Amino acid sequence: MPLVLMSLELIEIFRWAYGLLAELGLPPVWVMLISYGVIGVLMFGVLALLALFLVWWERKVAGHVQQRFGPMRNGWHGWYQTIADAIKLLQKEDVDIIARDKFVFFWAPVLCFVAAFLAYICIPFGKDLIVADLNIGILYIMAVTTFTVIALLMAGWGSNNKYALFGGMRSAAQAISYEVPMVASILTVIIYAGSLSMVDIVQSQNSFFGWFICRMPFGPIAFVTYIIAATAEANRAPFDIPEAEQELVAGFNIEYSGMKFAMFFLAEFINLFTVSAIAVTLFLGGWEGPWLPSWLWFLLKTLGIVFLLMMFRWTYPRLRVDQLMEFAWKFLVPVTFANLILAATMKYLGWYW
Amino acid sequence: MGLYKDIKNLLLGMKITGKHLGRHAVTIQYPEEKWTMPERSRGIVVLLSDKETGELNCTGCLLCMRACPSAAIRIDAPRGEDKKRHVKKFDINFGICCFCGLCEEACNFCAIRMAPKYEFSTENKDDLTWDMHKLQEMGRDVDYVDTRKKKIPKPKPAIEEKPASETKPAEVKPDTPKQEENND
Repeated sequence: MPLVLMSLELIEIFRWAYGLLAELGLPPVWVMLISYGVIGVLMFGVLALLALFLVWWERKVAGHVQQRFGPMRNGWHGWYQTIADAIKLLQKEDVDIIARDKFVFFWAPVLCFVAAFLAYICIPFGKDLIVADLNIGILYIMAVTTFTVIALLMAGWGSNNKYALFGGMRSAAQAISYEVPMVASILTVIIYAGSLSMVDIVQSQNSFFGWFICRMPFGPIAFVTYIIAATAEANRAPFDIPEAEQELVAGFNIEYSGMKFAMFFLAEFINLFTVSAIAVTLFLGGWEGPWLPSWLWFLLKTLGIVFLLMMFRWTYPRLRVDQLMEFAWKFLVPVTFANLILAATMKYLGWYW
Repeated sequence: MGLYKDIKNLLLGMKITGKHLGRHAVTIQYPEEKWTMPERSRGIVVLLSDKETGELNCTGCLLCMRACPSAAIRIDAPRGEDKKRHVKKFDINFGICCFCGLCEEACNFCAIRMAPKYEFSTENKDDLTWDMHKLQEMGRDVDYVDTRKKKIPKPKPAIEEKPASETKPAEVKPDTPKQEENND
């Protein structure tokens, strides 16, 4: 049984399809363009469906934590509720406010959506199952996901609404502050992996005790600080001050409706999956695992982290802005830098195992 | 240490939400699942029928109509040639009814009662006015203790003498054992 499961590697399907394409006798440029086009469309479809699934799951978790059911009407336990919602949002009127900054207002959701998708170019979904193994993989992801901040700031400015502007400014302040501890905790991993490539990072943790979360004492600290910073990066509760429903109504997406709002919403959930996928790749051994095919291990671990972040959202109350900044600069930054220095010293002295 | 306490409290919060995640939901899926209403709960107002004959218990005395503070009850019961009132019309407008239960208290003949039913919403306000037949139908399966039986037997022969030629008693008899079985 394990052998049969192990052979269910998705990459084999892609190799077989690529083989068929190569045999057609098209010019190599066309083969490349077609294969990248197919992969692009496939990634878009899979991630859109994944985001819809996460929205449904979030609502179910929220319901059950509060001893409700969550969506129950459409299909088994409301499984196509979010699909119906997405179709509804597609049909809705795109309300265009008069006093907005037209260019910025229009392109903000697009940039947010694109930035969320760009990170998936170098996230390894399984063994060899990666679009492009960039040698600066994690640096690229950190750079590209920061585009979200610009998009949210654009949305806040373009809406010409004080709540939206507040949301955008808060988002920028928060994301930039939490980027520092996040990168510092990622650096601890990079010191030991010796590479920025996502594939190399996964391969450097080839057994359970090789996972970076299990490397005492700096591993768990880096993991916890990463998870905290990632929650803030994904603008999720308890760090969801940019959209804080009770104080800012909905923050930066207050003036958006229809599909533009849906793009923000989907991007938010794709970002949630992105930070979880990075956490899995860096700290939990990525696709590594016995018996099951590698992509399934990756998916299970990532959904586990997503579930953890969802539980954070329904457990902890929101922080105030000043508390948020204080926590980032007075606690997380010193801790992560001390941890980084500790890890670097241990590496230099050769004390690690 | 402050940090130790903070971490402990954070984990405690996660433990509590985790515990609630495993519990069963307290909400019910309304159209499929329903509350079992208590036997003597007061929902909509219904008209009760005699357990044996199936006729309305109402004598048309108009006490409930007079007792009703919001004038939701409209009764048309003119005196017939036998100088008794015959109920022609008995409407209750649930749009006005305040469900105070005064009609139930005023009634001396076990005729009007608040039943443990609560679903009477409509798409049209006019449909909230229920006529005699609908009220009677809703009251068919309401179980009640017939307190008026003690008083009725005395005038009974006088009533039965007049329609003696009709076949009513013959129809009634086979029904009675069935209903009693159901009640048990």
